Amino acid sequence: MSTQSDGPLSRWADRSMKNPGQVYRAMFYVAAFFFIVTTLFPFYWLVVLALTPNQEILNGFAAPVPEGFNVAAFAQVFEQVPFHLYMFNSFVLATSTTIIVLLIASLAGYVFGRLEFPGRGVLMLAILAISYFPPAAFVVPLFDIFTGGSPVVVPFSELVFGSPVNLFTPPRLVNTPGAMILPFSALFLPLSIFVLTTFYGQIPDGLEDAARVEGTTRIGALFRVIIPLSAPGVATAGVLTFISVYNEYFFSQIMALGNQPQQWSPLVGGILSYQTQYTTSFNLFAAASIIGVLPVAILVVVAQERIVSGLTAGALKE
Amino acid sequence: MARVKLEHVTKRYEDVTAVDDMNLDIRDGEFVCLVGPSGCGKSTTMETIAGLTLPTEGEVYIGDREVTRLPPKDRGIAMVFQNIALFPHMNVKDNISFGLRLRKYDSEEIDRRVQRASDIVQLEGMLERMPDEMSGGQRQRVAIARAIVRNPDVFLMDEPLANLDAKLRVHMRTELQRLHKELETTIIYVTHDQAEAMTMSDRIAVIDSGELQQIDPPLVCYNEPANLFVAGFIGSPSMNFTPGRVTDGGFTSESYDIEFDPASLGLSPGDSVTLGVRPEDVYPAEQRASVSDPSMTIEARTDVIEPMGDEIFVYVVTTDEMEMDFEAAEAGQLLMSVSPDSTIDVDQDIEVVLDRSKVHLFDDETGQAICHGLSPNAQTGTTTETETEAGDDD
Amino acid sequence: MSADTVSEGRREGGRTSAFSGVVRWVENLGETAFAYLLLTPVFVLLGAIAFYPLLRTLELSMYSDPYVDPQFIGLDNYVALFEGNLNGFLPGTTTFLPDSLSFADVLRSSLMVTLVFTVVTVLFETLIGLGQALVLDQEFRGRRWVRVAIIIPWAVPIVIQGMIFLLMFHPQIGFATPFLADLGIITGQNTLNDPWSSLFIVMLADIWKTSAFMALLILAGLQSIDRSLYDVAKVSGASKWQQFKLITFPLVLPTIGVAILFRTVAAMRVYGIIDTTSKCEIVPSLSCMVVANLGLNTGVAAVIAFVTAIIIAAVVSVIIYQQYREGF
Repeated sequence: MSTQSDGPLSRWADRSMKNPGQVYRAMFYVAAFFFIVTTLFPFYWLVVLALTPNQEILNGFAAPVPEGFNVAAFAQVFEQVPFHLYMFNSFVLATSTTIIVLLIASLAGYVFGRLEFPGRGVLMLAILAISYFPPAAFVVPLFDIFTGGSPVVVPFSELVFGSPVNLFTPPRLVNTPGAMILPFSALFLPLSIFVLTTFYGQIPDGLEDAARVEGTTRIGALFRVIIPLSAPGVATAGVLTFISVYNEYFFSQIMALGNQPQQWSPLVGGILSYQTQYTTSFNLFAAASIIGVLPVAILVVVAQERIVSGLTAGALKE
Repeated sequence: MARVKLEHVTKRYEDVTAVDDMNLDIRDGEFVCLVGPSGCGKSTTMETIAGLTLPTEGEVYIGDREVTRLPPKDRGIAMVFQNIALFPHMNVKDNISFGLRLRKYDSEEIDRRVQRASDIVQLEGMLERMPDEMSGGQRQRVAIARAIVRNPDVFLMDEPLANLDAKLRVHMRTELQRLHKELETTIIYVTHDQAEAMTMSDRIAVIDSGELQQIDPPLVCYNEPANLFVAGFIGSPSMNFTPGRVTDGGFTSESYDIEFDPASLGLSPGDSVTLGVRPEDVYPAEQRASVSDPSMTIEARTDVIEPMGDEIFVYVVTTDEMEMDFEAAEAGQLLMSVSPDSTIDVDQDIEVVLDRSKVHLFDDETGQAICHGLSPNAQTGTTTETETEAGDDD
Repeated sequence: MSADTVSEGRREGGRTSAFSGVVRWVENLGETAFAYLLLTPVFVLLGAIAFYPLLRTLELSMYSDPYVDPQFIGLDNYVALFEGNLNGFLPGTTTFLPDSLSFADVLRSSLMVTLVFTVVTVLFETLIGLGQALVLDQEFRGRRWVRVAIIIPWAVPIVIQGMIFLLMFHPQIGFATPFLADLGIITGQNTLNDPWSSLFIVMLADIWKTSAFMALLILAGLQSIDRSLYDVAKVSGASKWQQFKLITFPLVLPTIGVAILFRTVAAMRVYGIIDTTSKCEIVPSLSCMVVANLGLNTGVAAVIAFVTAIIIAAVVSVIIYQQYREGF
């Protein structure tokens, strides 16, 4: 400790020389503060815009603080466009995709996590590889088929047989939930498979054997014992799938041909219709965004442990 | 209750044969232990009986039915597992009634049966507990209750006591025997612990490398092991083995000779055989008088002494060359069990005798036993029917 | 006791015989057959929505006019794309390859914009993610809430992320535009129609949203480091910085490598944030070009889609090789 203190700053600096731990402590707080501010500030900006009457926004801000307290914007959001219908669409799409993904991924997770069979490693790598490809690599034929009238053609059949071999012509799927749920399921299936493989693989063999001896089939043991015991894993996969679908942009925007809720356009369409119809209603943009982000924000707060473990398990698949 | 029969059961995985042409006939109400070292195929054998594994070849019968391809749930069996395998997400009552609920029994019947099963294993007042709130012994009782509640034809137990501590294990052994007496159900019990097998079962099936070596009552396995493997596996400490050859007058080895008439056993001089003798059938020469049929005196030196309390194990070296390699030293060593009041010290010269009536000879080529007990020498006519004590160990 | 067995048998027979026949058949399948049976839905779904479209895209990319008058032209579309003859199909003044390496030409090139976007965002996301992970790796009160704050951008829907950055950088109302324009980083006027300014904003938006993802992956790596190593270091008198340099960083480096590869493939699919904040003709990513030709010029869309797939496949094969070597 210095005896002749000449100001708090130099005193602090002096102490720091002797106690570097304090510097690291200070650096840590500065870094933590910086990260919190940078990640949260944009949300604050949304709140500022939503609460400020639009006329004030257009007049310009003196400082980034709300100029007014116009809660009415949040109600207006639902009046200008049927925002609740878009939200409803998003929920339906996300929920049904989550159910489908959990079901299929549960079977696959059971297979990869608990069975030994030839081809296991190769199949897992193939699924992993698929999950890395961009939606753009799949969208061209899917869009043609989903818009109706285009048959499913055996690839390269024209080159091989002289004329294309048409398997069947599916009905027009664009503007229906199917056109989105199908690609969503395929897109987000791999992550859930890896998460569930990890969890199901950890259930001791004895429990499955016990269930089978007691009277279940193998699939029965999966649903009565393995899945209930892996509830945290199933929740993880479910939360991740739900958030992923809710947040998806590519297919959500393409497979609904317009931004109308009747065309099963989800949240994406709701927000975009503000951008296209009410180009200068900035307070409504902000209010709609806040409403749209609330469900996932709540999910993150409630299920943050699950999200963290799921993302790391799925991405850094050992 | 039912008999269980395996006919030519073989289970092959890609590169290993886990079970090789297994034939077993387990009688109704019998308590049979499948015993063998780890990886010998005893668990796979049990899994084929349970239906958890389908055999590559052969048939499995339970009662009058062929069940080879029947799923586990339709075989009328119940099973207790090594890791106890209670469903951690269900309380004790739900665990016990799991199978009954799957079969849609009405709740009164379920209550009645759960009550009876939990009475039998003394679980009163614990039905609402979760498995993780119970001790190892209590959990094992729940597992047993879950097995008996369905009144199965056959109990399968896969090392059920392996994860319990030593004291509890001994206690549960007696409980299982009591249970068997009470229920009179066929029990097939897998263990690697030969002492467990010896104390509990009506018959022991000794298995090695996927093959059945011998199935007999415990004392028969102990006194008349069918081959070298059984002789070495059953009994603790193990039987002494001395490799040697047949001569005109009997058996010779690097370290000692035993006289007998080879012709009477169908042996001819030069045949290579292994002589086996249990530690309790080796005596210090001064006790010759109390040995029913003592052999010639063998010169030896004491090596290591292990006092066990109720007996003392003395390792004696019967060869005098010190520069022998390890394997030869092993072959020339005999383990002798003496009474605790003996005053034997290490590195002492000692003379020992074997009880000829308890000596086993094995054919080196096949490993099969040639004889159990040599016929008495011409001079005396003492009986060879002396009772042998079963190895009471750890 | 036999009475119980009989009653169990009767209970089994209660179901329709066809159903129990199927159940019995499934139950008796060998392990391998059972495994493949359960994987059937995965095969069907991924086959129909991923494998089939990928193959079909390759096929379509080899035809001129795939629907009206399909002519097999082999790799001509690819040659045309790389020679710039398909640039007319791309929105605005976009090219596929840059005409020159001048700043303006690079920003007009769809391939270059995608690569620049990928390199810059992954670099900053890694650095920021590492910083966030180091903060989250500490024990402190309120850590749970700091973690929520850091994760939340990851969970924001892309369309709302786009909206947020549009509102922050809107030349009319955005508070950030004048600030950055004064620094000369972006233009103050018509910001969202300026290629560089828009790319900058789009990259900033992506870094904001995705750093958290990097942070989580790196955090997992940090937490798998044996804590006793730090005790050893402390005993031998290593400072905090030395501990980081000698223990933390080398041990977390493999995780960072995996995370970088992972993010790289994800960054190359960028589309939504561009579509919401700016426009595809201003920031022409590869995915943008596919969408722009979707349903109009299928051959062009297919050839760009497949080139994107090939570039990504190259990175993916590195990842797969890595996974394979570690014994998947």
